[in-house]
Amino acid sequence: MIYSILTLFDILLALTLLWLSWNLLNTEDIFKAVVLFISFGLLMALTWVRMRAPDVALAEAALGAGLTGPLFLSALRRMNRFLKGERRLDCDENREKDNGKNPKQTQAT
Amino acid sequence: MTILYNCGTVLLMAGVLFFLSGTVGLLRFPDIYSRLHALTKADNVGLGCIVFGLALQSGSIAVTIKLILIWLLVLIASSASCHLIARSAMQKNIQPWTRS
Amino acid sequence: MNWLHTFFALILLLTIGAGVIRILKGPTAADRMMTAQLFGTCGVAILLLLSTGMNNLVLLDIALVFALLATLATLTFIRRTWQGSGKRKHDYPL
Repeated sequence: MIYSILTLFDILLALTLLWLSWNLLNTEDIFKAVVLFISFGLLMALTWVRMRAPDVALAEAALGAGLTGPLFLSALRRMNRFLKGERRLDCDENREKDNGKNPKQTQAT
Repeated sequence: MTILYNCGTVLLMAGVLFFLSGTVGLLRFPDIYSRLHALTKADNVGLGCIVFGLALQSGSIAVTIKLILIWLLVLIASSASCHLIARSAMQKNIQPWTRS
Repeated sequence: MNWLHTFFALILLLTIGAGVIRILKGPTAADRMMTAQLFGTCGVAILLLLSTGMNNLVLLDIALVFALLATLATLTFIRRTWQGSGKRKHDYPL
């Protein structure tokens, strides 16, 4: 009984990881990709637990959730400041502003 | 022994129900503030139910202390980040949802 | 009787899979970050349930690290990413 439920758990975990990574590679929004990467790290730690490697899971939880996520978010802000005039799709507020701005520019030109 | 174990099982069921209702609220609520409300409260109560259920079933003092420590950490972190998100959303002039 | 814990962990994993939808279509950036925090809480609960389901007490330590570090991303998001350039006072349509 317990082995079948654990097998179902593994299959669902693998499917969720595949779906998450497909969306992560496919999206255009950089912020969405960062959040998907953080959740990918959390689920990857669960996967290491299921592979009976708790030490790797500990390292993955510390690195994937605690270190890489804040580093990516800080880098996102640096990039916002750096590429000020260029049109990007990073945060939703900037996207709303750009969508409001772009038709005017095309009309002006 | 068996009575404690069954009480723990009932608490675990209640915790999973709270988690399910929190996720339904996250998916269905219309506003960022109400989503925050559903997520932080319901999920922390669910985690508390699971922690106390497992503590009743474990029967060991060290495991119980560690479980309660985990729950307290999650409570502090979750309430702090909920407060920060709500205050930052208010500063950005995101209007609360009203029944129009 | 340990299969019940594993079954509850399975239900919580389904909950995480439903939360991915909110990341994919969340209107504001804070919704996505909130969902990442929900994944942290759910991951802690799954680890606690699996520590009984797999008879492995080491998973409690991993849950402790999860609970410590899963909120750092949210704090960094609020302090660094979301309140970016000063005070903006535009009405953002929800």
